[in-house]
Amino acid sequence: MKNFLFILFLCFCGCSPKNNNQEVNLYSQRHYSVDEMLYENFEKKTGIRVNVVKANADELIERLKNEGDQSPADLFITVDAGKLYKAREAKLLQKIINDSIENNIRNELKDPDGYWVPITYRARILVYSKERVQASELSTYEDLANPKWKNRILVRSSSNAYNQALMSSLVASLGVDKTTSWSDGIVSNFARDPKGSDRDQVRAIASGQGDIAIVNSYYLGILLSSENENDVEAGNSVNIFFPNQGEDQRGSHINVSAIGLTATAPNKNNAIRLIEYLTSEEAQSIYVNNSYEYPVNPNVLPSGIVQKWGSFKIDTLNLNSLGRYREDAIKIFDSTGWK
Amino acid sequence: MEIKLFNLKLVNKRWVFPSLLLSIFLLLPIFALLLAFLDGGYSETFNYLIDTVLFDYSINTIYLVFITCTSSLIFGVFPAWVISNYSFFGRKFFDVVLYLPLAIPSYIMAFTYIEILSYTGPIQSFFRKYTPFPKDLLNYDFMQIEVLGFIMGLALFPYVYTSSRISFSLIGSSYINVSKNLGLSSFQLFYKIVLPLSRPAIFSGLFLVIMETLNEYGAVKYFGVNTFTSGIFRSWFSLGDVNGAIQLAIFLLIFVCLLFYLDKILVKNSKFYYSKNEDILKEGMNKSKKTTLFFLICSIPFILGFLVPLFFILGNVIFTLSETDFSKVFTLTLNSVFTSSASAIIIILIALFLLFVERISNKKLFFLGTVTSLGYALPGAVIGLGIIHLFSYYSLVGTFFVLFYAYIIRFLAVAKSPIKSSIEKQPHSFDETGKNLGLGPFKLLQYIHFPINKYALFAAFILVFVDVMKELPITLILRPFNFDTLATQTYEFAVEEMIPTSSIYSFLIILFSATMLLILKKMIDKQVYVSRG
Repeated sequence: MKNFLFILFLCFCGCSPKNNNQEVNLYSQRHYSVDEMLYENFEKKTGIRVNVVKANADELIERLKNEGDQSPADLFITVDAGKLYKAREAKLLQKIINDSIENNIRNELKDPDGYWVPITYRARILVYSKERVQASELSTYEDLANPKWKNRILVRSSSNAYNQALMSSLVASLGVDKTTSWSDGIVSNFARDPKGSDRDQVRAIASGQGDIAIVNSYYLGILLSSENENDVEAGNSVNIFFPNQGEDQRGSHINVSAIGLTATAPNKNNAIRLIEYLTSEEAQSIYVNNSYEYPVNPNVLPSGIVQKWGSFKIDTLNLNSLGRYREDAIKIFDSTGWK
Repeated sequence: MEIKLFNLKLVNKRWVFPSLLLSIFLLLPIFALLLAFLDGGYSETFNYLIDTVLFDYSINTIYLVFITCTSSLIFGVFPAWVISNYSFFGRKFFDVVLYLPLAIPSYIMAFTYIEILSYTGPIQSFFRKYTPFPKDLLNYDFMQIEVLGFIMGLALFPYVYTSSRISFSLIGSSYINVSKNLGLSSFQLFYKIVLPLSRPAIFSGLFLVIMETLNEYGAVKYFGVNTFTSGIFRSWFSLGDVNGAIQLAIFLLIFVCLLFYLDKILVKNSKFYYSKNEDILKEGMNKSKKTTLFFLICSIPFILGFLVPLFFILGNVIFTLSETDFSKVFTLTLNSVFTSSASAIIIILIALFLLFVERISNKKLFFLGTVTSLGYALPGAVIGLGIIHLFSYYSLVGTFFVLFYAYIIRFLAVAKSPIKSSIEKQPHSFDETGKNLGLGPFKLLQYIHFPINKYALFAAFILVFVDVMKELPITLILRPFNFDTLATQTYEFAVEEMIPTSSIYSFLIILFSATMLLILKKMIDKQVYVSRG
């Protein structure tokens, strides 16, 4: 028995990450097959082993905070710039200074303060019923509060980070008061209580429970490429609409998957090399061809299905605002009854 | 207190102290949360939530618990009653399979049912395409709190079934015979005699259902139903206030302590519970003409709670077979089986140790031992939070040591319940005889309690194995680098709305858990133990 426990103990110790030069440790909110593919490629190219823990961003932030300078993590990856802002506010990140990374990224997607580097981006846009809505009736996010959409709008709940980011962007652009009355308006236009996934919103349009939904284009891609013909049919019953595209308008809301370098990164050089690789043309092409995300590298084009939706003007808001105004956004959700 | 402790030391101090230390060690994360709370002070978020949404969240919680309990009772108690008392076609089969819904994690059950019922799901598509029924016949928004409660009832009713089944089969024949002689109908017998007698047992099962409902997060979030636990995560994830989250968690903990206490009182007042009556089943049973009704009572929970989701998931497995990465499936299966069995062994040894020491010493001191069961009531992510506060700085988070430590805290209660009922049933004369023969506590454990509680230990092993296999939030946040399990992989695909791709992983969770539960049932048949006595 004693021997058994001793061996068990050795196992535990053996499994904890050791510091050596040939590795880089990631705390990641992303968990896609394409990520694994890219990490493997990086390992093959450089011999640097990529270790990953995948969990919720806020939990990982809590881990980083409590680990302090003992943290094994070099990089923190999220699917929401707001969470990187939060990490930076907690002094968990350091600036990333590297010319070739700089050159890999479209200017309007960069963190003006240099604390994080985007690796892909997604748009949170509208889909509408081909049968019951004309594209010409749609215009902006703001217009969704118009009473003409009474009982026609579908969206998931306010606990969803994508909705929180969208609301934060509205607060940043319109201010708290205007955003609150906007939220009041849109909530009274809901076709049903917020619930389900983005895909469920598209299905609800197909089933006639509502006419317009706010979704990430990403999930429409998943629905359209489904093996289930009924799902594809549902996906085909809607069209995509990029809001706020007018000349004097700010563009459609986007959010980035992005990487931050931790303040205490034990393998800083390897970490920088990984960021460099993930933003390179090679890796960016792999991202877009294996998911429905948009590339951050100006020399890479999105994949076929995504290109078909057309190009659009993106909201060039400083994405740190998505974290800065998060609390205001949540309070607006709660005060206007967006469940 | 001091004096008592001193007296105790004289009895079995070499056993009592380690067990007290162990209990304290297991309570550390809760202490850490309390400390963090005291350190951070009263959170404004708490006031904010009270002013805005917390009332709604609490009402939702009560309503959801009510519906889930009601449906668990319906799906659990009636089958247990007819199986215990009547013979009908399929009785033996149902007695085995009604445990199986426990193999399906409730969030997978919820996702699966919404897929099945959705507009693009098999049922609605079939009606649209192949029948003359109006198109909108089943076109409803099924994501309602009532539906969620019903689905959770399907996932959780086996807790009620198990405890009432054991209780029903142990109720003395004299009760039943006397009642019949007094002219009570079967319904009256059930309603007036059996139900009141079995109330503590049924409540014990229901207690687990309530705990599981309170700390459920995945399914409630998907349904857009905000419960008290949603409030914890709103504070932490959305408002970025960890301290507010801790405060809410402590609030939840206090509420659960009250429930815990209620459970204790109910169980304490039920000495008749242990009546030995092996013959009852045959005597009380009669050939019934109501076979069809009984068959339905038993088949509905089994079909809805197990067969339907299983076949849907299996369908998806076959559908996505060509794109399945089998080497990955194999690795993750090994990982899941490894963590589940290793932690289950550790947990039952600890449970046995604590309960044994409790037996050989003064019980009153062991409120600590009881409190260690509280971990079961906390959402896994909150336990994870306590452990992060405790261990992060020592670089221990991300080791198997800490992962297993978290599992122990979360599931000790699960292991304790069968072992406790088994140990309590053993007469103290065994211990006396052992002592007279010169056995020390260790030999007593080795030669008497280990073998005579063997079945309970196996049962505890299986229950914990199944729970760890299904466990998600703790594994997600505390796992080592590059370590995935079937549960984490299922979640990662499901949350990205790739339900078909996730199905092979959820299928394997169900397969392993179901197999274990079937073995468990075999063992229960060999030696009826009283659940959560």
